[in-house]
Amino acid sequence: MSALPPPPPPQWVVALNSPMPRPSKAANSIPDPPGFTSSNARGGKQVSLHNPTWMPRDFEHVTDMHQRQQQDKQPATMRPEETDTLKLKKAWEIAMAPSKQLPMQAIMMYMSGNSLQIFSIMMVLMLFKGPIQGLINTNAAFAKYETPSTKARLVGVKAVYVLMQLLLFALGVWKVNGMGLLPTTRSDWLAWESERQPLERAFFAFK
Amino acid sequence: MSLEANSEAKRFYSTSSPWEARIGYYRAVRRGQHIFVSGSTAADPDSPPEAPRVRYPGDARQQARVTLEEIIQAIQAVGGKGAESVVRCRMFVSRKEDCGVVGEAFREILGKQNGGQLRRVRGRLVAISISAQSCRQHHPLLPPLLPPACRSSTNMRLQAALLAAACISPAVAIFSDEVNHIDFHHALLGAPSSDSTFFLKPSSASNASLLYTLSDKLILGAVNPRDGALVWRHNISRSDSPAGGAGLLRGLDGNNAVVGAAGDYISSWSAQDGKLIWDQQFDGNNVADIELLELEDVTATSDTRDTLALISGKSFGSVRRFDGDSGAVKWEYIDESGDIPFQVSSSPTEVFYISLQSGLLKSSKIKVTALDPITGRQTSQQVLNTEGDITGPESVLFAGANTASPLIVWTDKAHKSLKINVIGSKQISSLAIDNTSGEEIRQITVHAPHKLNSLPHFLVHYKTGSGAWAEVYHVDLKSAAVTKAYQLPYLQGQSVIATSSIDANVYFTRVTDSEVVVVSSASHGIIGRWNVDASSADYAQAAVAEVVAKGKSVAVRAVVLRDSGDWQLIRNGQIEWTRPEALIDAVAATWVEAEEKEDLAHELEVEGHDSIHGAYIHRVKRHVRDLQHLPDWLKALPQRIVSSVLSDEVTNLDSFGVAKPVIVATRSGRVYALDTGRQGAVIWSVQASEQAWDVKDITARPGQVIIDLSDGSYVSVNASTGKTSTHTALEGTKVQSIANFVVSDGSSLVRLGGVGIREDGSPVTPFNDITGFLVTTSVNGRVLGWIESDNKTPVWEFVPPSGQKAVKATARPAHDPVASIGKVLGNRSVLYKYLSPNLVLVTAVNEKDHVAGLYLLDGVSGRVLHSATQAGVDPTQPISSVMSENWFAYSFFGDAIGESSAKGYQLVISELYESSIANDRGPLDAAGNYTSLHSSGAESLPLPHVVSQSFMITEPISHMTVTQTRQGITTRQLLCTLPSSNSIVGIPRPVLDPRRPVDRDPTSAEAEEGLFRYAPFLDFDGKWYLTHTRDVAGIKDVLSRPTLLESTSLVLAYGGDIFGTRATPSQAFDVLGKSFSKLQLVLTVVALTGGVIFLAPVARKKQVNLLWKAT
Repeated sequence: MSALPPPPPPQWVVALNSPMPRPSKAANSIPDPPGFTSSNARGGKQVSLHNPTWMPRDFEHVTDMHQRQQQDKQPATMRPEETDTLKLKKAWEIAMAPSKQLPMQAIMMYMSGNSLQIFSIMMVLMLFKGPIQGLINTNAAFAKYETPSTKARLVGVKAVYVLMQLLLFALGVWKVNGMGLLPTTRSDWLAWESERQPLERAFFAFK
Repeated sequence: MSLEANSEAKRFYSTSSPWEARIGYYRAVRRGQHIFVSGSTAADPDSPPEAPRVRYPGDARQQARVTLEEIIQAIQAVGGKGAESVVRCRMFVSRKEDCGVVGEAFREILGKQNGGQLRRVRGRLVAISISAQSCRQHHPLLPPLLPPACRSSTNMRLQAALLAAACISPAVAIFSDEVNHIDFHHALLGAPSSDSTFFLKPSSASNASLLYTLSDKLILGAVNPRDGALVWRHNISRSDSPAGGAGLLRGLDGNNAVVGAAGDYISSWSAQDGKLIWDQQFDGNNVADIELLELEDVTATSDTRDTLALISGKSFGSVRRFDGDSGAVKWEYIDESGDIPFQVSSSPTEVFYISLQSGLLKSSKIKVTALDPITGRQTSQQVLNTEGDITGPESVLFAGANTASPLIVWTDKAHKSLKINVIGSKQISSLAIDNTSGEEIRQITVHAPHKLNSLPHFLVHYKTGSGAWAEVYHVDLKSAAVTKAYQLPYLQGQSVIATSSIDANVYFTRVTDSEVVVVSSASHGIIGRWNVDASSADYAQAAVAEVVAKGKSVAVRAVVLRDSGDWQLIRNGQIEWTRPEALIDAVAATWVEAEEKEDLAHELEVEGHDSIHGAYIHRVKRHVRDLQHLPDWLKALPQRIVSSVLSDEVTNLDSFGVAKPVIVATRSGRVYALDTGRQGAVIWSVQASEQAWDVKDITARPGQVIIDLSDGSYVSVNASTGKTSTHTALEGTKVQSIANFVVSDGSSLVRLGGVGIREDGSPVTPFNDITGFLVTTSVNGRVLGWIESDNKTPVWEFVPPSGQKAVKATARPAHDPVASIGKVLGNRSVLYKYLSPNLVLVTAVNEKDHVAGLYLLDGVSGRVLHSATQAGVDPTQPISSVMSENWFAYSFFGDAIGESSAKGYQLVISELYESSIANDRGPLDAAGNYTSLHSSGAESLPLPHVVSQSFMITEPISHMTVTQTRQGITTRQLLCTLPSSNSIVGIPRPVLDPRRPVDRDPTSAEAEEGLFRYAPFLDFDGKWYLTHTRDVAGIKDVLSRPTLLESTSLVLAYGGDIFGTRATPSQAFDVLGKSFSKLQLVLTVVALTGGVIFLAPVARKKQVNLLWKAT
């Protein structure tokens, strides 16, 4: 049984399926008209906007407006449970973020060697700075996702976050130990040990 | 011609010689400091390689010239200097008759400095091969004081040593600009004997003369009269020689050699460089006299004159004539009449043998036998009737040596008349001695010229208790009559006469308290007079002089030996240099604190013992008192700043205790103070004892030095003035050593007291005020331990097993700080050091079966903690040992006994640890104290874990000591005295680590610890030699002492020469180097300040402008 080939799709379908070629670089550099924000730029900014601890209040409105616009595009409106799930999902992402650094840092530390040089020392310092700052800012990092409803569930997320930071910290300790900077051996405490003194004293007359 | 440089390793030079191309070799190869030139001949560079030709066929002389020029070109092409670089040359000549002309060409081109060898080969007429050396400096390893008998046997070793040393010579132990700055050296000869000291031109070609002498220590040496520096020296005493009085040394102007004799040994040395020409030893028969034959035979070919020697056997006397070049005996005259051989002398035509024929009543007659100089046959004999006047060789005042009219001079017993015989005649002239001084004549000496062509004049010098005068006599050659010419007046005080001659003229130089006077022998007119302030109590004993005529006036250099042993050159009334020859044979030395330091220490001590209030007032008073120095200090300030910027040394280190005075006591009873900050210059010297003394100990106390003697008495010497006072012992007990109870208090040592030790090892008195034990040795080879209250019976006694006798016992130095009590291994675990201040290391030897035992004892209980036995030890070779910190080292000559043992000099090092396991402190663990008195118990002393390793070394070590630093942080150096190369070497301790891995490379952990692979042969690195190029002879003892600088240790070696230096085993890490420029630093700061001052207004203006623009 042979059938006729389907009729060619209409022009708009073709246009829909195959997007426009990427605008050229020159086109990209054309500044946006005032009041217009391209979706690309907004997407790029999104990450930083998610963590708006430093933002002034009225600026948040703008962000909220953007989000609302985004949500408006979606077919269904979000329910509070869904928002919470989403927030939790985001929180998990943040909690697991340090673990992504772990293999990279481990390789870097391994490759940098155990010699005491300015670069390896600086790398180790940076390695310590990250987890320590992260640990101090634990609550701040999750403040955005903390709502009365998610609070209980965020405890576990925070614990994982702390654990991950501790893992990074442990990596730093391992590295410092490898560099021989930890006083873990007997020789490190040798200077505090004293010579055993005899109770009797002998004098000599050889010559 | 091309020069191919192959980095550092080898440099080549090739020419277009046909043979080079054909065979494939280079003309010259340079490796390091050595240049080797291959066999060269007069090859024609234009000839093809297939058919090589030579230039100048048939003309050996031209061929030799061309060849040598080619060789010199090759040497220069690879960086040598040229002809003067050549050290060895071997020439092959195919026709024997060409040797002469080839030799001439050799002399023409290579000059005189080289020893060449001529050999015959077939083929080409001449072929030459050469080794040259491009390094310029004299090498430390060549020992000029090596006895000539050993020279041939050690030739190979020397060559090997030179080769090895040449490789390392660029890196020397100290920088050349530090020589004479941080170190000093008194190269000593001993007191010169008056009749064996003379000025002499070393060769007929030279203008300047050297001063030659043979000292009472039988060291023959040449001294540069310009600055008093030693040119060369040799010890010509032989240990197997019979003790036979002073040595003899003879030299002749125009002769290349000086001939010395001591005991039964006679040797001829090149006057220029001190190389041995020939030597002879007559077993047990003393050399009574030697003369150089000034007259020249028709057959004489060389510059070296023949030697006449009088050998005195038990029952015979023998006159021998030795060939000047080879030492072969030309003839011998034997006198078996039983006379006492006395002297030989010669006149232009005859050789005289003077002997003493014993007559009645202990008196003797002088017998003169004239010999033919060519054949040695007796030509005539005369016996002088001298009975009643002469009792032995000492009563003959003078037996003329080589003067135109040789004389025999003696006096009657009452010193009333002078009897003179012109040798060869029978006539005895008797001259009355005109003694107007009113004092008894103590000494009569006769001074006559020693040259054949001099005028027959002589001078008789009469010395009384307080003054002296002299009379000059002329001899009539024809009639042999002696007439008095004139008199040098009687003068109070000292007076010595020296004779010198220019051509036929004879000059007498008289050195007195106030002046130096030169007179001609012909008339009494004074032709030179200089004022000299030499009116010290230090009387001149003897003098030699060299007079130079300058038109009508004269210049004179007189070398005077003083009572103090100082040897002084006075040139035209100016003292040019002084050599402290009596410093030889030092037996004890110690450093003393400079005076002002001691004052401060004393003041601080007072403050320490006072109450707080009293101490405060004392201190304020002290500072107020110090204010009086302020003007001086301010005055000196600009100069100090300038000198600190401009001086060589960046920091003047004297205030850090590196320039402490040294007090040295010599065997002859003199005490010297040397300033180590000024090249060891003598600060003062004093005769503390009239006779030789047996010094047992020397200790520095505040302001004074105590010298303990073997009879129990002691001499205290003021450290700054040299004032001595002797304190005799109450009971005259003979002591063999002195025990000093010294405890270490921080970085200083505190002496609690001392006690003498008798020969049996017992203390002279109980030492009740000291708590502690005393360890002594006895002369019968035992080690004894004593407790304070009992000096009769020892608490323990160590008798070495199996017939061994303790020959040496050592302990750790009193100042031996330990910076770290453990050794950190590569994996950062710790091996704990076994540290006990009570350890004693005993060296015991059984001389019969050649076994040596090393015993480590606990000084409190006498328990043997460790022992090691070495078989096949040669007890006649030096065995030295030393102990410090947790290790000890010893050295000996071992024979190959077992399979694994080796024959040669060995250096063994052993380290002591608390446990073989890392991080383990042994059974005592963390206990803070231990006792040696309970052998079992929680606190008793455990046995050490010992790690040992031995190294083969090339030379014997006669003495070992260890560098001491203030806190012991600096690496230690093992200071070894090498008697066979006259040097002191400081071996770094890390090199001697017994834990160096054997037969494998170190693991990374071991490498991190600094261990490297063990090599059984320990080659002394050139950088280790503290003495660098110096020839430091006769060292018996080396001392070390810390300074205020942790990096620096003072070292003093004495015994023969005196040598002092600063050792920095870990480099001078706490001293700014010379490359640090204070001036640059100051200028930089000034420039930066100037820049800031200049730029500040500009910058300010700009900022203000900016603010205006912004708005």
